[in-house]
Amino acid sequence: MQQGLEGVFAQLVLGPALSRPELLSLCEQHGVSSADAAALGESAERLQVYRDLVRSNLREAIQLSIPRSIARLGALFDEYFDRFLQERGPRTHYLRDVTPELLQFCAPLWATDARVPSYLPELALHESLHIEVSALPALPRGHVAAPLALEQGVALGAALKLVHYRHAVHELPDAEDDRSLPEARAVSLLVYRSPEHEVRYLELSPLALGIIERLLSGDSLGGAVQGAAAAAGAALTEAVLSGAAKLLADLAERGVVWGPASGPAP
Amino acid sequence: MSRPEPSVSTPAPLGGVGLGLRWDFLEEVVDGELLPLDFFEVSPENYMRRGGYYPEQLERLQERYPLITHGLTLSIGARDEPDAAYLRELKSEIERTKSPFHSDHLCFSSAGPRSLHELLPLQQSRENLRRVGERARRMSDILGVPFALENITYYAHPGRAEMSELEFLSGVLDASGAGLLLDVNNVYVNALNHGFDARAFIAALDLSRVVELHVAGHTRKASGLVLDTHGAPVADPVLELLGFTLSLTGPRPVLLERDHDIPALSELIRELQTLRDIYDSAIGSYHAARA
Repeated sequence: MQQGLEGVFAQLVLGPALSRPELLSLCEQHGVSSADAAALGESAERLQVYRDLVRSNLREAIQLSIPRSIARLGALFDEYFDRFLQERGPRTHYLRDVTPELLQFCAPLWATDARVPSYLPELALHESLHIEVSALPALPRGHVAAPLALEQGVALGAALKLVHYRHAVHELPDAEDDRSLPEARAVSLLVYRSPEHEVRYLELSPLALGIIERLLSGDSLGGAVQGAAAAAGAALTEAVLSGAAKLLADLAERGVVWGPASGPAP
Repeated sequence: MSRPEPSVSTPAPLGGVGLGLRWDFLEEVVDGELLPLDFFEVSPENYMRRGGYYPEQLERLQERYPLITHGLTLSIGARDEPDAAYLRELKSEIERTKSPFHSDHLCFSSAGPRSLHELLPLQQSRENLRRVGERARRMSDILGVPFALENITYYAHPGRAEMSELEFLSGVLDASGAGLLLDVNNVYVNALNHGFDARAFIAALDLSRVVELHVAGHTRKASGLVLDTHGAPVADPVLELLGFTLSLTGPRPVLLERDHDIPALSELIRELQTLRDIYDSAIGSYHAARA
């Protein structure tokens, strides 16, 4: 019986508003006995309270996370919010993770919906990263207090993400009523949490991106710089080496580089 | 009827008044002057599986006040067993906070893989009593601390009720050996919405099982339905019911819940002082009656 009731409640709170006959029909679909269905039907109006509560809880959590994207989407957001609830529904115990679930659901749909601006999925992702990175679990610092060495790997802060956009959505104003359009250009961003728990953003050059990607995959510092330079078609000139040194110094200043990795690079 | 006891020993009795921790005033309570309260209650889901500012602040708060964990998403009444990964994380969080016990709600909040993020009512049936009672009995061992269930507000009963709310709640507690987190406001709201006597309901419970009391504010909709909103000061009839309850239970920790329209911390502290006055008076009556 509990299984049938769960099915009814899930549809009741996540699906479209139901009339009493629709509720009774739903009960039948879920194998709820006619006597129980009749009792539920008597309470149809009060049961709608649960629909309002669930939807306002979830919408509030998403609103906190991606307010600018919701404002730009307007009524279209509600259409996709409804579809998300009805077709998938949240799976997570944690309200803060509902937005990433929504965005994952919407990504393929938005890609083919001409009503959704092409930059919008990136703006929504960018907004949601703030909460995601602020909450990333901190791993123990796997480094020793020593200078970096070319033959060793580099321990990077655990609370970081690398993201790639086709639009400079990170440059859009914070105001929710702003409707300016982002510049269409390829952007790679390092999103990280500082030691003071602030979420910060650093736009990366192709060479810097290559170095960080390789360090994150466990390359030695020397290997990462060499590999990134080769991938960018650049020779290992004094300028490239100096640029890499500046990047690492900057990342250390920001609390992203912790020091040499405790073990030798593979 | 013999009652199964949890294998985890009962914590030392707690008492006094506490406040539900909300991020709106987190900095104030971590960095400000010590407040005249006895504990904070925390929702572990807000701190589990995350790093950064909030867990760090919680650690600092723990140096100043005792913490009690009160969960939101166990979904103990759902057909599926509680999520094992969630339980592992929860156990770690309880250990981190050194909570003397853990509580969650007698309800379901999931449907298969979907998490509905609301406390939904269970059918008051013999089958649910047996199933949830058996599941709740295992929680103390799984979590490593005594486990308690909270009575929820419900706006409609799902289907036919085979028994009353009182019989269902008492039966689950008897079958499980779990403690009772008695939400006095929920009793009051249910009494208004379903037409029963709140005092008689409380007096008929096995009050030796009560490990904590909750109070909060509620609102009445135009339709007449009363909603447990946690968005207003505690109403006078609920304060009276709290005093009545404490005069029967003796010292138990009393928690003020406020989740919406959260006022300045100073206003919550004033409300806590009202609760403390009621607490002191009721505990005086409790001891006088036993002298």
